[in-house]
This record gives sequence, structure tokens and C-alpha cells, in this order.
Amino acid sequence: MAFCIAVIGKDNAPLYLTTSDMEQELELQYHVNAALDVVEEKCLIGKGAPESKELYLGLLYSTENHKIYGFVTNTRVKFIVVIDSSNVALRENEVRAIFRNLHLLYTDAICNPFYIPGESLTSKKFDRAVQKLMSGTA
Amino acid sequence: MRAAVGLMLSHGAGGMEPALSRPDYEQSALHHSCLLVLLRGVGPSRARVLQRAFEKVRRVNHIRVNDSSGHPRSIWIRFVHDHPVEHNDWGDFQTHRRLLGLVTIGKFDSQIELNELCRQHESLKVRYGSTLYESRAIFFGPDEQPLETIGEVLGPPAAGGRRLQDEFTTPSNFKAQAFFYREQDSCADLESRIGDFASALFWVLESRRLERSREKADKVSLLLAPFEKRDFVGLDMESRNNRKRCVGRVMKNLADLSLQAGLVDDALSLYHNANETLRSVGDSLWVGATEEGLCAASAMLLYPQMRETETLHRNSSLQEAGTSPLKNTPEKWRASDATKKISASDATANNVDSNQPQQRVTSNSSSCSSVSSLVTTATNSSASDTPTTSSSSTSTISAAPIPGHQRNGDLPGNILKAEEISNYYRKAIINYSKYRHAATIETEAALKASRICIEQNRPLDVAMFLQNILYINLSMSEAERVKRFEVITDLYQQIGYQRKAAFFQRLAALKHVQQGSQAPDWNQSYRLMLGSFTGYRLCLDPLEVIENAAGWPALQIDLVQTLITAARRLGHSALATRHMTFLLQTQWDNMSPTEQSEMAVQLQNLSAQCEGSPVPLVLENGTVIPPANLTDLPYCIDLQVKDLPAHLRPQRIKVAKADSGPFLFTPIHFNSVDRRDKKKDKNKIAFQWVQNDLSEVTVRLRNPLPFELPVTDMRLLTNGVVFESLPQTLVLQPHVPTYVALHGTPIETGQLDLQGYSTHTLGVKSNCRLKHMRGRSFPPNYVVDVIPALPRISVKTSLPQTATFSNMNSADIVVTSASLTLYNGESSSCTITITNESATLPLEHLEFSINSNVEQELQQKIFRIDEEAIKAHLPVPPQGTIEIIVDVFAEADFVCPQPPASLHSAAAPGDYGASSLTHYSSVSTSGHASLPSRVGSPHHRRNEPQNSSFRSTISGGPPSLAALTLHPGGGGGVGPSSLGSQYNQHIEAQVRFKYSGGDALTAGYCRQCAVSFNLELLPSVQITSWDVLPAEVASQFYLVLDISNLTAQEMSLNYTDTKNILIEAKESCRVPIPVDRCSLEKVVAARAAEVAENLERELCFRTQLLSFNDALSKLCSIHIAERVKIKWLLTGTDIQGIASLRGIVLSQSMVDLTAVSPLEWAISFQDTLVQPHNEIVCTVGQRSLLSIQLANQSLQPLRNLVLSIKFYQDYLNGMENYNLETRVAISGPNRIAIPLLEKQEQKEHTCSVIFFTPGRFKASIECTSNPQKQSEQPSSLLTRSCPAEAESVGQSVMFSSSYDEQQAHVWKFIPPIEVTVVEQ
Repeated sequence: MAFCIAVIGKDNAPLYLTTSDMEQELELQYHVNAALDVVEEKCLIGKGAPESKELYLGLLYSTENHKIYGFVTNTRVKFIVVIDSSNVALRENEVRAIFRNLHLLYTDAICNPFYIPGESLTSKKFDRAVQKLMSGTA
Repeated sequence: MRAAVGLMLSHGAGGMEPALSRPDYEQSALHHSCLLVLLRGVGPSRARVLQRAFEKVRRVNHIRVNDSSGHPRSIWIRFVHDHPVEHNDWGDFQTHRRLLGLVTIGKFDSQIELNELCRQHESLKVRYGSTLYESRAIFFGPDEQPLETIGEVLGPPAAGGRRLQDEFTTPSNFKAQAFFYREQDSCADLESRIGDFASALFWVLESRRLERSREKADKVSLLLAPFEKRDFVGLDMESRNNRKRCVGRVMKNLADLSLQAGLVDDALSLYHNANETLRSVGDSLWVGATEEGLCAASAMLLYPQMRETETLHRNSSLQEAGTSPLKNTPEKWRASDATKKISASDATANNVDSNQPQQRVTSNSSSCSSVSSLVTTATNSSASDTPTTSSSSTSTISAAPIPGHQRNGDLPGNILKAEEISNYYRKAIINYSKYRHAATIETEAALKASRICIEQNRPLDVAMFLQNILYINLSMSEAERVKRFEVITDLYQQIGYQRKAAFFQRLAALKHVQQGSQAPDWNQSYRLMLGSFTGYRLCLDPLEVIENAAGWPALQIDLVQTLITAARRLGHSALATRHMTFLLQTQWDNMSPTEQSEMAVQLQNLSAQCEGSPVPLVLENGTVIPPANLTDLPYCIDLQVKDLPAHLRPQRIKVAKADSGPFLFTPIHFNSVDRRDKKKDKNKIAFQWVQNDLSEVTVRLRNPLPFELPVTDMRLLTNGVVFESLPQTLVLQPHVPTYVALHGTPIETGQLDLQGYSTHTLGVKSNCRLKHMRGRSFPPNYVVDVIPALPRISVKTSLPQTATFSNMNSADIVVTSASLTLYNGESSSCTITITNESATLPLEHLEFSINSNVEQELQQKIFRIDEEAIKAHLPVPPQGTIEIIVDVFAEADFVCPQPPASLHSAAAPGDYGASSLTHYSSVSTSGHASLPSRVGSPHHRRNEPQNSSFRSTISGGPPSLAALTLHPGGGGGVGPSSLGSQYNQHIEAQVRFKYSGGDALTAGYCRQCAVSFNLELLPSVQITSWDVLPAEVASQFYLVLDISNLTAQEMSLNYTDTKNILIEAKESCRVPIPVDRCSLEKVVAARAAEVAENLERELCFRTQLLSFNDALSKLCSIHIAERVKIKWLLTGTDIQGIASLRGIVLSQSMVDLTAVSPLEWAISFQDTLVQPHNEIVCTVGQRSLLSIQLANQSLQPLRNLVLSIKFYQDYLNGMENYNLETRVAISGPNRIAIPLLEKQEQKEHTCSVIFFTPGRFKASIECTSNPQKQSEQPSSLLTRSCPAEAESVGQSVMFSSSYDEQQAHVWKFIPPIEVTVVEQ
């Protein structure tokens, strides 16, 4: 269902990035990297009214083949999901659900006391769960 | 009607009409109000004069004109260099696309060239003739002759111009107005002429506008976009909807013309009306056009500063000085200013503020003032075209406020708000997107909207508009597609979206070199790829990339690889090598081992074409590529600065002296600790290097690649003083640490800054600096002090070297060694040859010292060096030599440390056949010791007859001669039963040299080296026992020695000047040596010294008894050692030496015999003075007088003396008989007590002796001092402690007390008196 799921740290360095198509991994990385500009802008807009800020950033931008959605946590960790543009059946609620599940998985992963914040996420459990989330069976 | 509209759309979808060839990417919203003028250079020449003319023409982009009714108009001109003809076809749709004017600039030198310029001008006029209003030609001709030029300066410029026109004539078909200038002319009036040209354009436009406005509604014709012509064929143009369409389109066209003519208010009204009319008939394309027009008109009023941006941008592009950081700062300022203006506009719209209009008026007044001269000139020039205006009108223009609606300082009510502009643009774009032929219009609209949003500081909207551009389906060429990407990149950069900008830069770069492209432009691809570095957190400086590493390594690696490919295709090998080195330096940790190997091999292949070097690389366009270094190839594990070898290490001369002080206080340690910490902070090396001396740094390297890594030309990187590094070449095995020693020579003195090393590996030269090595705790640099050059020496000895290593400390400064084997007492010498190896420095300072594993005093006796001889040879010139002779003497103790008394006690009892000398020794010892035993032992009384027989046995012949004769025969049995064998003694010594010269000597530095000495001392002679016997004369005594030959050869022994004896190997013999007795002067001196010592010791409350005896004993020992020199020689060899008696220990009885007796004897028998060895004969029964005189020769009085006379018989077999009551009778006392014998006093005693039996008798006359009155000692101490005593009295008392404290002394008359009693 999703092409790519990425977890970006607060300093905009990638902590985790996985793709369903290995051949397109580099291209998808380029798209995710470019999407960070829009993410930063949307985070900046919400500074004035913190109580009305929403974690879900919505559609960042779209290309001919992909739609890129964003999500930002309270600790400035960003989630990026790249979805196929031809999947017109996918609604915004489903994208929100993906992000909600991803957020739960992420919080579970960083609860590991041996995980150092800012380092790459190398949890196998997290990786398997994200793979399921990406294939739509979560 | 609906069917008609459907038919029209269907025809549009057919795509039969050609669309605009390419979008105008530089267009902005404010260009809707500009008159479009083509500015073209014609002719082959591109001189600088043309460039100046271009700038002058372009500067006239705004004029102010009074219209026919006297109102001022603000007219703007846009100059373009290129304009497709197809864009003219869209002039009816949007009038700002119509080319209105043409200006050509050319240079000619002849009539033929002028004709060619005119022809090119006319061809351009024909091309754009359908829309062209007016054209001008600017010609630069050759200069006049010098004389005519001077004349021309005096005349008016117009006359000069005319002259040029008179020289050359334009062709007959050339109808445009031409301006002629000399090549060197300053073109002072060019701007005014262009102003006239612009004014002419305006008036033509104004007439068109008025003509359009006067058209009646029922007679207007339908305006069409180029692709719409076929759609309206056959339609009823008189229908109601079509009539409204015609009116709406004409109204929109009129609005465009009004906007260009400076009537913004009219334009806004017309746009709104046209929008309503066209929307009612569903004319989407023209509805979009009206919406876009509204945005343009509103932007003109809200954001007039955007024109300044255009000017700034042009200047920036012309100068090519724009950089990203510089652009960002004005961007922020402009955005802030725009926001402020938006707020001000909103405030003004809501409330009329009296202050605001005044400020606006002031600003506009200044603007009017700046262009007033131009307006005045324009008015004067165009007097023929406009109604006459008076001078008062001119002054009115200067003082007039903003014309039209802004007179009250308020914006029109129908203007769009800031947020509405983006909405209207969005709607216009949506309307445009319905027509495929309008894709170019749509793209341009999106770009205009983006630029407006940038001005409004709304980046999200900018991103939305730019992203939508990609969806527009345009049949573009690859070049146009790349152009689009570049424009999008630029706009993204303006809003700070670096990642987006980088994304599109990369796409543009890839488009340039796409597969299947006919002419791939690798140059452009490289430039764009390089420009996208910022978006991916990359820059050309690898150190910055490493410091600011922020993830996305996969993207960075891919980008650099693409850059390398582009550089390689460009044929720039140096650039490709540089970027590959950059990739390895910055992304080494982010690559897998396989990738690392592949990249390393690629680098090797690339550098085979062009080597990499650590210098900046300057490209043709001025870009500077910083150097990249393979810092971690090879990987440096450790780097240590090595000290010089110990024998070449500089030391401080003065510091050494200071260090030799005996006291070290704690604060010094604290200071030392603090100094050490301070040095540690400064990365200061504790030791120094020497100028012109080879230095060494040890580096531990590891090869992280799986194959062998050859490293060539590896050198040290230094700063500070000049340092000459020696190159090092090595091959590193995979994953194995390797130690490498890097050498170099400092050429100057001062501080040397070691920063790292340089390598040449994989074809790349790299400067590997310590401060850039990550993951290791290296200091940024190491600082080493370099001192002035010191001389260097080489040392050789005349003795063979030894292979054994020394166990002494400081063994590392030993440069050579010498080994020597000597017998104890033997002398030898060693010659040390020192060569000054320096080529320029003399050896000016040379001092030496000797260290060894024996005591200092013994060392001084063994090793001796003549210092004066060495100093006489200094300084040693370069390459000169000096010889130092070291005299070596095998100093050893020859005296056996066994106590002699015990020896004699052990030997005496069982030895009755000994010689007379031995007998005397036994007599002396047993006589003294047997005094108490005689009283308590009945054994002696029973042996009296034996003594008598013994004495008669030796009555004839000299006793000493007989003893000497008997001694060799019985030597073996006389000596001790076992001799302690002496072991070999091994001495290690170092002769240390401290040398210096040149500037280093002035600075206080020196070097130190040493020669190791291995001295083996073999035992030669040993004295196992000794004794002191009385001699025949009173002034001498016999020193009896038992000498052993400890060598394996026969030894010849000279123990006096005339006597010689041979001793076999491992044998010993007894030798008597006559020695003079110690004189009284020496005894007095010893006692004086003892007195002085006692004075000092009173403070310590020590006893003086032992010290006096020790002093006297030492005196006698020294006395004997000085006079007795036993020379030995190994028979058959040249080995010889001297055995010293130093260290011989004398007992008290020996001391009494050694020293001269303080008593002087004068004995007469029967009135005849007794001489030594005189025959004394008397008769039985005859009374003989025995007279004894004693004289005290010492300096002190003698107390408690007992003079005793005993007669005995000596049987010469070891027995003496003292019980002679029945044979000898003495009349008078034979024991006389002398209480006090003062100095130089004499005592006389006379007695008579009667012998009853004939025979041989001996008389033993001796004087004994007894310390029996010890009770006086306390009183003496008390006397000494009395403070009232005088010095002389005190001294005298001390003499007495010291005498009383002495042991008992026995002085005898030597030799004993022998009396032979005969019958009458």
C-alpha cells in the first residue's frame, strides 16, 4: 500500500527508511529528502498556536507517481509515508491510521532502555511491524 | 448554444493549431504593464562600446508622460534580447506579449558594413512588422582624423553627428530613424533619444487605446487566441451570447491596453467587468486572462518594489557576483518590507491616515524630482506631437502628488487583497488548464504566481504553484525542460527550500545527459550537480562536510558519484580525481567494505590519468574546488615523536650543574608538576631536536582495504622552522598494523610544528593532518623546540671492544666499549680517539667524567685522565681529531684482612722449631700476655731448666742471618694451613664526554656520549699475615710479611732495593723488610691533630681514647705503606706491578715498635757503655755495676713508669728461663717506680750484679707505663670543664688526660744485653 516509510530525527537525519521496491530506494530517498522542506515549513506555521497544532501534516506534495504525506511528533521526529498516486481508493483517514500505527510502533521502539536517542532504529521487531504496515496487513 | 461551445472545445482538443514554442520564464506579473521592446545587437563586432550602449538603453525603463488632457502617466518599458515570433500571435489575448518597439545597436567601419547593419535592421522589422510601432537604429562609426576631432570638440555635438551622417549614407530602403555616434563618443544624448522613442511608442499605444474605447458595442469584432480561429468558423456571430463574448473580450483587451498606458484604475474596472461578462458566457480561457490581469494590476499597486528586484537581479546577473548567502539577506529584508507594506496597505484601506499620505507624497515627490529633468527633456523633444504645455505646467508636474486614485493616499476599492491574489491566480491556472494549447500560458501564470507569493512571504503557496508546474502537459524539448527545472530551482532557493531546489537541480542535470540525448551537455550537468550540494548538506570543503554530517549518506554518495561521472565525461581528469578523493574522505564510514574497495580501485584508475594533489583546483568559471585528502587511507593508529638517540640528545650545560645540587625541596616538585601540566596543554614535546640532525617520528598505520596499499613519498608535514622531510615508501598489508619511521632534518632553529604527514597512495597526494583525524585522541599538533646545531663526534679506543652489555645506568649513551684485563697492581693505558664529524662546526667544549660501580676514591686511583692536555687541544676543527689517554692502574687491596694476633696465638704454641724472628714475635706476644698467666700457671715454673738450655743454644753466630737462612726451607710449614683464595674482580666504568660547539654552546646546550670500560682485575700478590719485630738498631724495625703468589706463573719479588726472591705459582713465603721507625715529629703532629679533634668533639661528648689510638695506628700504617713498595714481575712476561701495603692494620704492640720510643736509653756495664751486639764478659763472683739512664724525649710528661730489670737464659729452642735466683743476684732494687718523668728529664739507676755460675745470660731491661691510677680521670675531666682555666693550662691538662687514657705501653732496650760469665 505504501512505497516508502521513513523516520526522520529532529536534526533531519534519517533514523529509519524502508522501501517496498529496492530498485527505487534511492529515488524515494530523494523524494523524502525534498519533502523535509515542506515539513519544516508546516512545523514553523504551527509555532504561534501550540494548542491548535496537529501532528498530522497532510499531503506534503505529490508527483506524477507518488503522494507524500507527513507526520510530526511532539519531539520533532518526523514520519514520511510515500504512497502510490494511482491508488485513488486510499482515503485521508487511512493515511492518518497509518501514521497513528507508526507512531505507536515508534514509541514502543524507543522505550528500549538500550536505545540511544538520535541513533538509527535497528530494532528487528520495529522493522517487521513497519513492513506489515507498509504492505497493508497491519 | 451549448452545442456550439462543445464543438469549440472539441476542435481545441484536436490540437491542430501550434502552441507557444516555449514559456517566457523571466516574466513577472508587473510585466503586464510594460511596453515590450526588442534590444538586439547587429553586426559581427561585440566591442565594449556596444555593451556600454546596451546599458545606457536598458537604463531607460521608465518614463513619465503627460497625456492629451494634461494628466501624468507612468510608462514602463521592458527590454528583451530574444522574442519568438509566435508570441506576437498571442498579442490580442494579452497585449503585453506584443512586441511594440525595436532597437538595434551596431558598429561599422565602412559603407558596406553600414549597409549590412541596415539590412539586418530591416529584416527584423519585417519579422515583427505586424505588431511593431516604432524602431530605432544606433550606429557607431569610425573616429574622425585627429585634426578634425580637435576641431569637432570646439564645435557643437550635433554638428559632429551630422558630419558622420554626411560621410555615410543609409540605403534607400532604410526608413527607420538612425543615431550616429563616433566610436569614442560618450553618447551623452543617447538616453534622451531612447526616452523620445519610448514616448513615441506610448502615443501610438494611446491612440490604439482611444480607438478601442470609442468602438461601438455592436460593431466590435471577435478577438481570438491563435488556436481559436477554427472554432468559430461558421458560427453565428450575431447571437446574444457571441455578442456578449465579443464585448467581453474587447473589454479585456482594452483593460490590457489601459494597464500598459498607465491607467491602473481603469484597468481594474475593465478587468472586473470583463470577468463578469465572460464568465456569464463560459469563456474559460478569457476568464482566466481577466483574473490574471486583475492580479497583475493589483500587484502593480501593492508591490511596486518588485521592479527594483528586477533591476537588482539584472545587475547581479550581469556582474555574476551573486552568491547564495548574499542573496538570502536581501531576500529577508525585502520580505520583511513587503509584509510591512501589506500591513500598511491594510491599515490604509481600513482607515484614512493623514500621516501616511504625507509620507507617500514625500516619497513620490522625491521620485518625481529624480525624473523631472528627463520629463522636461521629453516634453521639449515631443513638442511637435503633443499639445503645447506651459512652463507652469512643468512646475505643476514636479509638485504634483501621485496621480489618479492615489491622490488621497487610498487604494482603489476594487483592488485585490494580498491573499486574494493567490486565489485568483489559482482560478486562472485552473481555467488555463482546460486548454491544451494554453499550457505555456499556464506555466507562465504559475511562475508569476510563485513570484508574487515569494514577495508575500508565503512559501507553502510557492511550493504548491511550483509543484503544479510539473503537471502541465507541455510538448517541450529537452532543453526547455531543463530550463524549466532551473527556473523552479531558482524560485525554490528564494524561499529557502534548499532540498527542493537541490532535487530539481539534480533533475535538470540528469536531463542534460539523459540517455538518447543527441548532444549531452556534461558541462551544464556538472554545474547543476555542483549547485545542488547545499540541499544535500554537502559543500566542496570536505572538512565542513565531515563536521556537519547530518545524515542522508546514500544521497550524498550517489550525488558525488554522478558528479564524478560528469567530470570524467568532461575530460577533466583532475576534477574527477578530486571528487573521488572527496568521496572517499567524507563518506568512508558510510560505505561498506565492498564499496570501499570498489571506490579505491576507481580512484586508482582515475588518478592514473591525472594525479590528485592537495592544492585548490580552479575551474574555468572561477569556481575553486578545495583540496581533498585521504586522511584515513591509510588509517593512522598512533603517532609518536621520537627523541634523538641518547648519545645525540641535547642537554643543558647549566641545568646539569643545577641538577647536581644536593638538596631538593618539595615546592620544586610542585612547580615541576605545574610546568608538566602546562606543557601537556600546549602539546609541547619535552625534549629538543637539533638543527641539521636527522629526526624521527614513528607512525603506526593500518590498511583498511583488502588488498595491498602502496604508499609512496610519505613525509612529515611541518610548520614553523624550515624542515626537510625525507620521503618514505612502503607497502601496507591488509588489516595489519605497520610501524613506519618518518625522518627529516630541521634546517632552522626555533619551534617546529608537527601537524601530520603527507602520503601518496592510490595516485592521490594527501596532507593527513592530526587535527582532521577523527576517532583518535590526537592533539592538533606537536611542538618541538629545535636548538642550534651541535657538533657530532665519533669515538674509537685502542683496546678491543666487548660484546657484553653494561649493567650501569645510562647505558644508552654508550657509543663504543673497551675491555682490559690487568693483574692487581699492574698499570696500562687506553687511547681514546675522538673525531669531529661535523662539516662546519668546531668542537669547542669537551668535558668528561668517569662513572663506575666502585667507590669514588678507588675509581680515581684506577682511572686517570690528564685534563690539561685535553683542554690544550681544543677547539677541534671540523673533521679534526683529538686523542685522550686514560691511564688505568689496577688498584686493589693486597693485605689480607685476617687479624694477626689470632694467627700468632694459633701458631705459637705448637711451633718450637721456628726461627728466632718468629721466636721474638712469640716472645713479644707471650711476654705481654703471659704476665698474668705466669703468676697463676705452675707450668712455666716447671719449664725453667728448658729456657736456660735454649738460651745457651743460640749463643753463637748472628741470629738474624741464621733465621733468614732457615726461613726458605721451612716456609711451607710456617704459613697458615689454608690461604683464602682471592676471586677475580670485575669493574665496569663509563668515561662520559660532554661536548658542544658553535651556537649551541652559546645557547647552553651540549651532547653526551660514553665509552664503556670493562676492567677485569686478576689476583697477583696477597699478603696473608704480617708482624713487626725489633731490629738490630733502634732506629729500625723488621716488617715480616707472608706473601702469596696467586697467579699461575712464577713471580719475581723485589721487596727491597737489593733483595729479590722467587715465588712459585700458588706458593707463599715469608719476607722480612727493614723499615725506618716513625719519627717523633710525626707523632707530635698526630697528637696535635688529635688535640684539635678533641676540641671539636667536646661538643659531641665523645670519648677521645679510641680516636687517638686510631690516629696513631693510621699514622704508622701510612708510614709503612709509604716506605715499603713491593715490586712483582711475572717471570718470562712483561707483566709487572707494585703491591701496596695500604690498609695494613697494626696492633698496639706493633705501634710501639713502629714508632720511635719516647725513652732514650743509656746503659753501661762495668763502666763501659753497652753498644748493640757488644760482647760483655764478666767473671763469676765478681761484682759488676749496671747503670741505667732514662731520658724523656717526648713532648709530654710520662707518669707511673716502672723500670724493671730481669736476667734470664735463652735456650734458643723457644724456651726461656726466668728463674735464676740461684745463679744471679742483684744488689739494689730491680723494680723502680718513677712517678713522673718530665719532658727532657733524665733519671739514673745503678745496681750491682753478681753471677754465681758460668754461662750465657741475657738482661731484659724495660720500662712500663700503667694506667692504674684511673681515679684521676674524673678530676681531669672536672679540671677541663672549669671555665676559668687558661688556654695553656688547659692544653697541658689535656695532654695529661690523654696520656692517662692511653693503654699500657712497654718500651724495651733493644736488643737485649747478652752477658757471658766465665770462670777466672
